[in-house]
Amino acid sequence: MKIELDRPRCEGHGLCEEAAPQLMHLDDDGELVIDVPDVDGAELDAAKAAVRICPVAALRLAAA
Amino acid sequence: MTAPIQSDIDIWADDILVDPYPTYAELREQAAAVHLPKNDLYVLTRYDAIRDALGDPESFSSASIGFNPMVNGALQGTSLASDPPVHTQLRAVLSQNLTPRALRGLKVVIDEKADKLVAELADSGSFEAIDSLARAFPIEIVADLIGFQGHVKDNMLRWGQAAMQVLGPLNQRTQESFPIAGELYGWCSSVTAEDLAPGSIGRGIFDAEARGEIPEGSAGHIIHQYLGAGVDTTIASIGNIVALFGRHAEQFDLVRANPELVPAAFAEVLRYWAPVHIWGRKATRDVEIDGVTIPAGAQVGILFGAGNRDPRHYENPDTFDVTRNPVDHLSFGYGPHGCAGQGLAKLEAHAVIEALARRVQTLTIGDEVREPSNITRSIEKLQVEKVVAV
Ligand code: HEM
Ligand code: SF4
Repeated sequence: MKIELDRPRCEGHGLCEEAAPQLMHLDDDGELVIDVPDVDGAELDAAKAAVRICPVAALRLAAA
Repeated sequence: MTAPIQSDIDIWADDILVDPYPTYAELREQAAAVHLPKNDLYVLTRYDAIRDALGDPESFSSASIGFNPMVNGALQGTSLASDPPVHTQLRAVLSQNLTPRALRGLKVVIDEKADKLVAELADSGSFEAIDSLARAFPIEIVADLIGFQGHVKDNMLRWGQAAMQVLGPLNQRTQESFPIAGELYGWCSSVTAEDLAPGSIGRGIFDAEARGEIPEGSAGHIIHQYLGAGVDTTIASIGNIVALFGRHAEQFDLVRANPELVPAAFAEVLRYWAPVHIWGRKATRDVEIDGVTIPAGAQVGILFGAGNRDPRHYENPDTFDVTRNPVDHLSFGYGPHGCAGQGLAKLEAHAVIEALARRVQTLTIGDEVREPSNITRSIEKLQVEKVVAV
């Protein structure tokens, strides 16, 4: 699966990074960077947790 | 079509507003969506139903976030009351100044102010926590942020309370608050850049309007929404922090011993006592939720506090536990309208909790005094009878 970010909607709350630091991080400007967009296995679980926790629903998982 | 599950309670009855949790539990056990004929309303009671509805603006429109036609009419054209795609644009303008990245520079000042205020209170031996902390602190922070000076600052509490109160049904509380909410609206419609302190975010919003970056006339509306949505709610949450730490000394001790628990402690305060009792949506089509059909056009009421205590989602939901870290609580809403000010609310509340943990050893509190109010559930008076400073 592929992690997709709705960039205009993302406000940099950073909760996704807390859920999946191995997959994404906020850069120095507070912009979210998806380091690992294509995920499966254990990474898919972490990605699902990140998608779930985003308070403004800016992340989703799509078929790769 | 399935038969609606009903309850003959009045969700705005005084005793329910003051202590809604027994009613939330009853309704939640009845169904995920319960029809309240007395209020001409369907309330959502369970965690999943609430989150799904908040994430589905196509089925649950924000056209009626309030519970009377006058207020919904007045809110037309605001971010709060609009649906995608219009909402997406309005929200971008509104949240620009509130994102964690925009607020980054404020953290140091907010932390310092909280520390100074809490240190004074801790040294005073006893204090009334609502006026001197829960109200004083967010009013000062938001006033500085927007750049309010003079009489406007003195009106922030009344205006902020009234802006929430008028979202209720047309009961006496709503009627009495309309003129006060009108004062706020009137002021926001006539405010100019010069009324706001140079260098403030409020002034910056006007500058953006002058440069044509945001639509003409929108600056006043943005400030209106910051005041309407951001004052009364934050006040409630800070009062709740003091009351819950006072009631649960062992939980406060945990935070004192482990300051890294501060964000988790605030999330748990928000989960345990939701600052917003009920918030509206309109069903745009027949929606079936766990076997109950909400008919197209029906007014819906979201009970954030009921979802936050749903045992289907949280273990021992009625226990206040600062180690739980319920980051997915519903008190800030969720999805497209999820609270635009949550970064600021967290900055303020984390600063207060950190200061309490640093400056206070023990708190002995009296009973909290509450007054019924339509939308915000907050404490009116809370005497800290004895505070022992570190
Ligand atoms: C603990 C404090 C707070 C709580 C519990 C809270 C709660 C909420 C909730 C439940 C919503 C969702 C409304 C909906 O779904 O229709 C919301 C939206 C909003 N909040 Fe907050 N809020 C808080 C603090 C703040 C602050 C400090 C500000 C700004 C200064 C703010 C500004 C807003 C705005 C502008 C919206 C509308 C966003 C939109 O329509 O897209 N809030 N808030
Ligand atoms: S949690 Fe959502 S809004 Fe926050 S940084 Fe991640 S994607 Fe962006």
